[in-house]
Parts: sequence; C-alpha cells; structure tokens
Amino acid sequence: MIELLEQLALIPGVSGDEGAVAARIAEEIKGHCDECVTDPLGNLLVYKKGKKRAKNRVMLAAHMDEVGFIVTAIGEDGLLRFDTVGGIDARVIAGKPVLVGKNRLPGVVGLKPVHLLESEERDKIPKVDELYLDIGANSREQAAATVRLGDRAIFDSDFVRFGEGLIKGRALDDRAGCAALVEMIRGELEYDAWFAFTVQEETGTSGAKTAAFTQDPDYAIVVETTTAGDVGGAPEERQVCRLGSGPVVSFMDKGTIYDPELFGLALAVAAREGVPAQVKEGVFGGNDSRSIQCARGGVRTIALSIPCRYLHSPSCVLHGGDAEDTLRLTRALAAALAAR
Amino acid sequence: MEATKQMLLALAGARGVSGDEHPAAQVAVELLAPCGPVETGRLGNVVCRVSEARAGRPHYLLDAHLDEIGLIVTRVDDSGFLKVSNVGGLDRRLLAASQVAVHAPGGALVGVICATPPHLQGDGDKTPPKIEELYVDIGMSGERARALVPLGCRVTFAGNHRALLDGSVCGRALDNRAGCAAVIRAARLIAEHKPDCGVTVALTAQEETGAAGAKTAAFAVAPTHCIVVDVSFAAAPGVPRHKCGEMGKGPMVGFAPILSGRMSERLVELAQREGIPCQVEVMGGATGTNADGIAVSGAGVATAILSVPIRSMHTPVERVCVEDIESTARLIAAYLHAEEATA
Repeated sequence: MIELLEQLALIPGVSGDEGAVAARIAEEIKGHCDECVTDPLGNLLVYKKGKKRAKNRVMLAAHMDEVGFIVTAIGEDGLLRFDTVGGIDARVIAGKPVLVGKNRLPGVVGLKPVHLLESEERDKIPKVDELYLDIGANSREQAAATVRLGDRAIFDSDFVRFGEGLIKGRALDDRAGCAALVEMIRGELEYDAWFAFTVQEETGTSGAKTAAFTQDPDYAIVVETTTAGDVGGAPEERQVCRLGSGPVVSFMDKGTIYDPELFGLALAVAAREGVPAQVKEGVFGGNDSRSIQCARGGVRTIALSIPCRYLHSPSCVLHGGDAEDTLRLTRALAAALAAR
Repeated sequence: MEATKQMLLALAGARGVSGDEHPAAQVAVELLAPCGPVETGRLGNVVCRVSEARAGRPHYLLDAHLDEIGLIVTRVDDSGFLKVSNVGGLDRRLLAASQVAVHAPGGALVGVICATPPHLQGDGDKTPPKIEELYVDIGMSGERARALVPLGCRVTFAGNHRALLDGSVCGRALDNRAGCAAVIRAARLIAEHKPDCGVTVALTAQEETGAAGAKTAAFAVAPTHCIVVDVSFAAAPGVPRHKCGEMGKGPMVGFAPILSGRMSERLVELAQREGIPCQVEVMGGATGTNADGIAVSGAGVATAILSVPIRSMHTPVERVCVEDIESTARLIAAYLHAEEATA
C-alpha cells in the first residue's frame, strides 16, 4: 500500500485539475472492478461485486484533489502572482520550492529578504498578496510562453520514508485514503461495494455532492486524513490524535455530526478485529462527509481518518502502520454495514 | 560558464553551517588545488596562496565566506523532537513544515520543522514561530533520537539545487557559495598567468555569526588590499529599488565609507573597458559583510566589495545567475592584471 501511496502522491492534482490522479487510479483498478465511470465533475465512480450481495448500499469515498496554488496574473517582471486553492496556512507557503503547470516547471515562492524587514514585519506572516512565484523568467513574454493563467502549482516535495515507520510527502491528504480504497478494490470483497474517488473536496466538497447523488448509498464511509497535533511542544490535551495509534474515528467535526450508532459500531468493529483505533479528541476540520450525509434523503455517514502531521503543507507526515490499519478497519466496517 | 556552474553546484551541494564548514571546505580545497598551495586555518578558513607576496608590491586578499545559515540542535525531548536554535540570520517566516537534513555523525537524518496545527493557533494569530518554539520532527522515540543525535548537530534545509527557466540556479547556501565560486574561478584565471602582485584566496568561516573567520584570515594573510565577494539583494517585489541590483546585470560594485573609493572606481572603470557588465551598490555606513572587519585589520587594508545579485536571500530558495558569478571572476582577474600593468 505504501508503494501505491508513493505513486499516487507524486501526481499533481490540485482541486479542479484531478484528471491525472483519476487516470492513474483507473489504471490501477483495471480488471479488478465491475464498473468504473467518470461523472461530469470528474469523480471516478466504481462498483465492485463481492462474494455476497450487499443488503445495504455502502459508499466508500476518498478525495483525489489536493490543496495547491493557481496562477492569477503574470507581471511585467516575469513573476507570477497566485492564489491558494483550498486552505493552506499562510505560514507554510513563503520560501518553498514549487512546480508550476502541467510541465512541472521548477519555481519558488519568493519573498522580501529578512534583512530588509522592519522589526514588526519579522513577526508577521506575509500575505499571499505579498508573495510571488519566481520561475526564472525575466519578462512577461518569457513567462507567458510557458505558463497560462489558471495553471495550478504544487509544492515541490519528494516522498520519503524516515524515522520509525514514518512517511513524508506532498498530497498524502488524501492520496492515502485513495490508496486504501484502491487496495480494497484490488482485493476480494465480502459484499458488493460502491467506491467514489472524489474531486474538489478541498474547495467545498463539491465532488462528493454529485457522487453521493449518483451512488445513492444507505451508508457511507469517508476515508480521509486528519490533523495530528502530536508535534514538538504541543501539550497532550491539545494533540487531538496521535501517529501510530491507528485510525481516527470522529463523533463530530466542523462540517459534520457523525451518525452516533456508526461511531460506536466503528470502535466496536475495531476492537473485534484487533485493529488499534483512536477517537478524535476535538471538533476540528471537515471532509466530504458533510456533502454525502445530506445527499438525497440523507445518508448515515462515518469518517475513518489516518492521523497526519502538518496537513496541507509540503511535508505531510503519517505513519505507514496507521494507513494499513485504516484499510483493515475500512474493510471490516464496510462488510458490517453491508450485512446489517 | 558550464565549469563555473558545476563548481557552484559542487560547493553549494556540500553543507557548511557556521562553525561546521568542513564538508564545504573539503570541496573548496579540491577546487583550489590547481591554483596554489592550500591550507586550512585554525578556525576553518581555507587559504590558497595563488601568487607569492613580495615586499614593496601589493598583496591582494580575495575573500568569500564559506559558511551558510542553518539550525543547531540544543535539546532532544522525551518524545524524540529536537529543539533547535538558529545559526545566523534565519527568516522565521518560512520555517514551518520545511524538510530539513539533520547532520548526525552516523549520516544525515530526514526531519521536518514542526508547524503548529491551525487549531492550536490562536484566532488571527498569524505570527512566525519564535526561536524557542522551534522543533524538528525526525519521527523517532526520545531514546533512539538521543542515541543518534548529539547536541550541537547542525541542521540544513533539504532539497537539491535546481535550474530555473533562464538557467539561473536555485537552492540553499548560494549565499555565499556563489561568492566562493567567483573567487575560485578568478583564482583559476589568475593562476594561468600570474600577476605581478601577491594574491591569496581566503574562503572564510563563520561570517553569518559575526565574521570571526575573516578577522583571523586578514591577520594571518596580512594583505595590503582586499576584494570581498559576497551576495546582495536583486530586484524583487518588496525590495526598495535603490537598495538592489538586477539579476544578470553583473556584479554590484560597492561604494561605502569603509571601502576604498579608489578601488571601487577602478573596478567600475575596468569593467567598462573590458566590456564586463557591472552595477553600483551604495551603502551609507558599514557593508554588513566581511569587508567591515578586513578593512580595519592590522594597520588597515584597502578593501573593495563585489556582490553577486541574489533573490530570496537567507531562504532555501535563493536564486543567482551563473553569468553574474562568471562576470565577477573576470572582473577580479582583469583588476589584478591591470595592477601588474601599473607596476
């Protein structure tokens, strides 16, 4: 699964431009599913028969898109102005290497040198408006020959295994969820299942709306990543969830109040299967659940998340074991819901 | 030009955070070997005698600092996170979630500078982390981290140097490996045809933390004249136009009270005569470089400064034009050969 995650995480797929990720996923599951279609928004909707007929339609969703940047203007000096796509903390943008456009042109997020700052400026995070992408073009013409307005840009960050079982990379949110679902499709299923690889989660969970309408599920499991606060200097009571402690089950976040019965069931299935699991200690973040839950007449929804440090940054960090355990729990919970 | 670029990449590819310049010094020693006898001083300066000094003749010191800014490990906590402090003028605004290399004795370890998750940040509290809030995540237990990472370990930003659209080079430590490359390239040009004056190259340690290397190098070499090569601001949004040069327009010749006006003028004159691009940079007081210390070393040293224009100074994405480095080297060589003509 980690090798697959590496392949998926290296593909650029900023919201609204997920085509390359979708194509790769379709390739990976070819011959392993019974139906695979792309909907008008770009969602990849997959159906796979199990050994038994499902009593309930269970939808498993993971989003393909990632946060990133979009080129909004090209200056006379050849520098690119940009906006963020999705929620990127202004603190992690300045001074980072990036790749611009389909040709992955190397560039950097430039900023005013520290030496020239007034003392109060040193303690301020530069606004996106004050930053620019420098691709080494020295005029508008030179830049415009290779970059078009609307081109997306991503952080240039490699995929690295490090420390004790950890992984660092870009876009692990939510290629890790995608990788888990691809693995599930490639294996044998107990019951029929409906999979949705969604677009535009980071910009308002748009893809999940149409995917859930089409798949019309009774239950949904959203496979995601969630912010782990177990970082240097963070007090234990504010860590929310921790790497190495298994999938995170949420009762509520900023977008969704999860189905209380499914919340309990997820933890019970984890205990029964011997999969470590943890409860998200706090009401933060949000994901595709908010759209899926409200699709048609309503869908009973739960999210299973892989804890991830430094989410939405060039250096997302997760524990490989947590990703594997999330896959195990997703499989078991999907079967339990299909059989109810 | 390609040789200069390769030299720059070799120098910048090696680490050399202040006080621990050894790996960069080793590369510099090899590159300087064809130019004359090379030795490493007590503080870590790399000194190469390109042309012997003789009584009654000028003796030029060509200085460029070898060190780079970075971080240093000050503590390993029970959860295995490394507490770090800055070495040199670090920009705290761009640290969060950067990948770094922790240079442990057993080999470099991958690390990530911890970023406080948004939910732990106060409302509207968009401030950079303070130095005392900095941690590096190496993904290990406290026990394992303590076994592998001794306190005092240096940390640099990770990532390879990359070529941008116009061929300029982008990455960490170009401040001041760009200067080192220019000085070594100049030494190579001079070594082929030695001028009638003394020439000694010093690639100096610990500039970013207070110019300690330049002080001792100036004492040891005791030159009559010095040309310092460093980097300076290139035009970019937010940089006042009167405080910067332009990328690709040649070295910036410094004019400042502490500098020798005669040398500065002569450099501009020679650049024009030889058709080497150059620009002028005027500073009202100190230069903030090794030149300030070298000029007042011993009984005084007539000093000039040439700066390679650089964008995003003191970041992991500094950017320089190789052409500017080449022009700097050519201007130094032309200057020293003109010195010969006046003998």
